[in-house]
Amino acid sequence: MSDTLTRQPAALSAEQHILNRHWQTCLVCVAEQQDREAFGELFDHFTPLLRAYSLRAQPGAYLLADELAQDVMIKVWNKASTYKPEMAAASTWIFTLARNSRIDNLRRNSRFVNHIEVEDLWQEPEDPAPSLFEAVQLKRSQKQVRQGLEQLPPEQRHVLAKVYLEGKSHQQAANELHLPLGTVKSRIRLALQKLKLLLIKDVTRP
Amino acid sequence: MANHHPNEELLMAYSASSLPISQALCVSTHLEFCEQCRSHTQKLNSIGGLLLESLAPKAGSSKLKGQVMALLDEPRQTQAARPCKTAEVASNTFLIPRPLRQFMSDGYDSLAWGWTAPDIYTSEICRDDNGAQVSLLRINPGGDVGKHSHTGDEYTVILSGSFSDEDGIYLAGDFLIRDKHQQHRPVASKDCACICLTSVEAPIQFTGFFRRWLNPLICKSYQPQSL
Repeated sequence: MSDTLTRQPAALSAEQHILNRHWQTCLVCVAEQQDREAFGELFDHFTPLLRAYSLRAQPGAYLLADELAQDVMIKVWNKASTYKPEMAAASTWIFTLARNSRIDNLRRNSRFVNHIEVEDLWQEPEDPAPSLFEAVQLKRSQKQVRQGLEQLPPEQRHVLAKVYLEGKSHQQAANELHLPLGTVKSRIRLALQKLKLLLIKDVTRP
Repeated sequence: MANHHPNEELLMAYSASSLPISQALCVSTHLEFCEQCRSHTQKLNSIGGLLLESLAPKAGSSKLKGQVMALLDEPRQTQAARPCKTAEVASNTFLIPRPLRQFMSDGYDSLAWGWTAPDIYTSEICRDDNGAQVSLLRINPGGDVGKHSHTGDEYTVILSGSFSDEDGIYLAGDFLIRDKHQQHRPVASKDCACICLTSVEAPIQFTGFFRRWLNPLICKSYQPQSL
């Protein structure tokens, strides 16, 4: 059971904050100086996490996990210059690379949609660098999400993990957790509320 | 500036990649129009980053590092080096949202538009694994789509022009979902043609008296492929 659950995030936090800065610096070194030592550090830290991410969705598929990790780490090397430290934490950026790699792999094995250029659907936004105000807002949101995740009740966290780490739809999550769809949806809503990620109630949103 | 947006759950499913390609295509097209939703998606991505960090690490073989380090010596692929389908297309394509450019060589006119009903032309651009049909819809100025209901959810993003139905008016960038219980009757505005992206899980059903005869034709053209 402990294998399927993510670690309790209590241990993250203060030291995590320092570590985050460290990974950010490493990425910038890779981008600017093609620093292999910094890349090596990123590799040692993120590869086991990327393998875990792949294994979460496809348990036992070790070869696939290695493939995903390799694909993502090569992208880290090649695309580090597109990483914007003021927009996202290093782990967020690497998560989006891992997610895209997973989508790409699924698409290649799909019968109908294998001709679709997936990167065009989940591309890095081309927005100009955020203003100081936006950067402060983003930073605050990152902090709220981190603190919110730490305080999330396990059942809400569990549903989020199903969706984010395993790429499960709400319906699939409901089936696997033996819950009604409505319960999964309300847990997700409650979680988003705690993470301050619910947009202001707006009648125009369906 | 879009006024109708995908809800948070949908944006989250997009950020987590737990969305079928057909719906992701609609969401990403809306994002091209909507800075607010782009920034929100960016924030949602951070959930993924933090959950990734909280996974129990699974160390693999030590050979992997050597393999990857060896690959670093290969020339870097820059963004421009990626075979980009959009590089060669004509200049009138710049108005087309990026996720859709891969489906047309030269603007909306280069698509094979098929007549569906008076004033309505459609062009299917892809079919999802779940059977959903993704098409572009062109409604002539003032064209009346006719009252219809859906046998599955319908996702729509307005690409250009505008249309209105019982609930309001929709402009370029607007994102709307009509579920199988909702009937509506979209009418394009009179000043220009309206082009939208739609993804339907199952064929629409005309409910108005005069257009019911179209239903068998639509079902015939739909023909879900067996999985």
